[in-house]
Amino acid sequence: MIHVHELTKQYAGRTAVDRLSFDVEAGEIVGFLGPNGAGKSTTMRILSGYMPPTSGMALVDGHDVFRESLEVRRKVGYMPEMAPLYHDMRVKEYLHFRAELKGLRGRDLRHRTGEVMELCAVTDVRRRVIGNLSKGFKQRVALADALIHRPKLLILDEPTNGLDPTQIRGVRELLRSLREQHTILLSTHILHEVEQTCDRVIMIHEGKIQACDTPRNLTRSLRATSLVHVELQSATDVAKELEALPGVRKVMTSKTDKGWRAYALRVESQTDIRESVLDLATAKGWRIRELHRQLPTLEDVFVELAAADSGARPFG
Amino acid sequence: MCLWNWRRRIQGQGHLDDETMRVFWTLLKKELRAFFVSPVAYIVLALVMVLGGVSFKAALSVLESAPSEGSIVTWTFHAQWFWLSYFFVFPLLTMRLFAEEKKLGTLETLFTAPVRAWQVVGAKFTAAMVLYAVIWLPSLGNFWLLDWITGGKVEIPVGALRGSYLILFAMGIFNLAMGCFASSLTSNQIVAAVISFTMSVLHFLLGVFALVVGRRLPESMVEAVHYVASVEHIRLFTQGLIDTRPLIYYASLTLLFLTLTHQVVEFRRWKL
Repeated sequence: MIHVHELTKQYAGRTAVDRLSFDVEAGEIVGFLGPNGAGKSTTMRILSGYMPPTSGMALVDGHDVFRESLEVRRKVGYMPEMAPLYHDMRVKEYLHFRAELKGLRGRDLRHRTGEVMELCAVTDVRRRVIGNLSKGFKQRVALADALIHRPKLLILDEPTNGLDPTQIRGVRELLRSLREQHTILLSTHILHEVEQTCDRVIMIHEGKIQACDTPRNLTRSLRATSLVHVELQSATDVAKELEALPGVRKVMTSKTDKGWRAYALRVESQTDIRESVLDLATAKGWRIRELHRQLPTLEDVFVELAAADSGARPFG
Repeated sequence: MCLWNWRRRIQGQGHLDDETMRVFWTLLKKELRAFFVSPVAYIVLALVMVLGGVSFKAALSVLESAPSEGSIVTWTFHAQWFWLSYFFVFPLLTMRLFAEEKKLGTLETLFTAPVRAWQVVGAKFTAAMVLYAVIWLPSLGNFWLLDWITGGKVEIPVGALRGSYLILFAMGIFNLAMGCFASSLTSNQIVAAVISFTMSVLHFLLGVFALVVGRRLPESMVEAVHYVASVEHIRLFTQGLIDTRPLIYYASLTLLFLTLTHQVVEFRRWKL
């Protein structure tokens, strides 16, 4: 669906996107992840035909984004960051206008407008003026607009930006339900969201791809460490003993309470040391009331990647 | 129509099919709607009606006070009140066109829909042009009313009237095109209005300048400056003298500024 090869975009001497190459297959939901200013929006703007790349190539469904811009725009439903809308129009009126621009006519236009309003749950506000709507509704109107011409590819720039947790969940469900008909490329800096929604994650930092994999593999294969929490009862501080276990990098004592001591062990992510902790406890005669492992989240991965300088890329 | 053909050729884009025209109509409808749901159209309409009435009254006083050379039409379009309304109309009509979309960020949604830049520029300009034509209509009523009250005793030369409105329209589209251009340069409507107003006034003053110091200039230069002098154009046309030179002059400048606007709007595509 998307084929990007050596895509570069420079603004006045600053390189926003630096020789980016990736592919997205039809039917995938791909998350674009990166800190602010990483080049996510720029890449999406290029893919939606809004502006051309400085060099390199981007194809959407086999069409070049620059030379066949109109063709690309017919196939792409794009929702820009901050969901810009005409504030003086009413919701239904706006969607009608957009549908007409995108080539829908007559009965199909009316039917489809009703359909996307239903899908994005804005039917109740269809007669309200957009400028007076809350952020959540505006966001959904913009999403309805992106969907209205049944695009093969949906490009959503931070679709959950500024929404409350219930609305975020709503958008997530909606995206999942849309995967049947559309390929989706979305950007976000909420990692949790990518973990929940996407088949694949493309992490970019300073215009370069840092990692590209499924969310599970990313967290697993990364240098990021997991945490093991253990709470046990012993007469003395046992941090030293715990630290001697293989795979443990660091032991943090979090609290002590009437003889119960809680420790957090930072462990390399591939190793599971819960059993050895239990064995050690049995051998030493400590009582255990908590033992659990906390896997690294994409957040940890993200922080680690962002911190790493571009020379030390974990995935080359 | 020749305008669109010309544009299309410039861009080397395909034939003018139904779909292309339909997108244009959709955009035009939206622009016209935007004028009439905001107070802008009504404020401009009221302003022009009031000042039109005042300049008409001024023209009547001139004719009452002494026998004069010109007709009621000539004096109406020579009143200072007329020029006052004239310069305020263009910034008010055009400042919003592109500046607002830039500010809201809707240019991005607009240009990721399958629309071409010339359709957007054309639709916005046409909407402003339609509105401009509409706001001058009530002033025709003044002449009709005078004719009705006096029972046809005051002579209202029809040719001069037609000529006046023709040149008014020609000068108007030129100033509107400049306004479009000004609006495309900035995301601030006030700045757009100031640029548009300054350009209109400067163009006007260029003509006045020649009339003021004209006698001290060589003949050929006066000729040249008359070519751009709006005051001179109005003088000729309100006497019923239809000269094609000013018409061509304004039409070509309109095209020039619309092309510039188009380039500015498309700039992001060439900025590599």
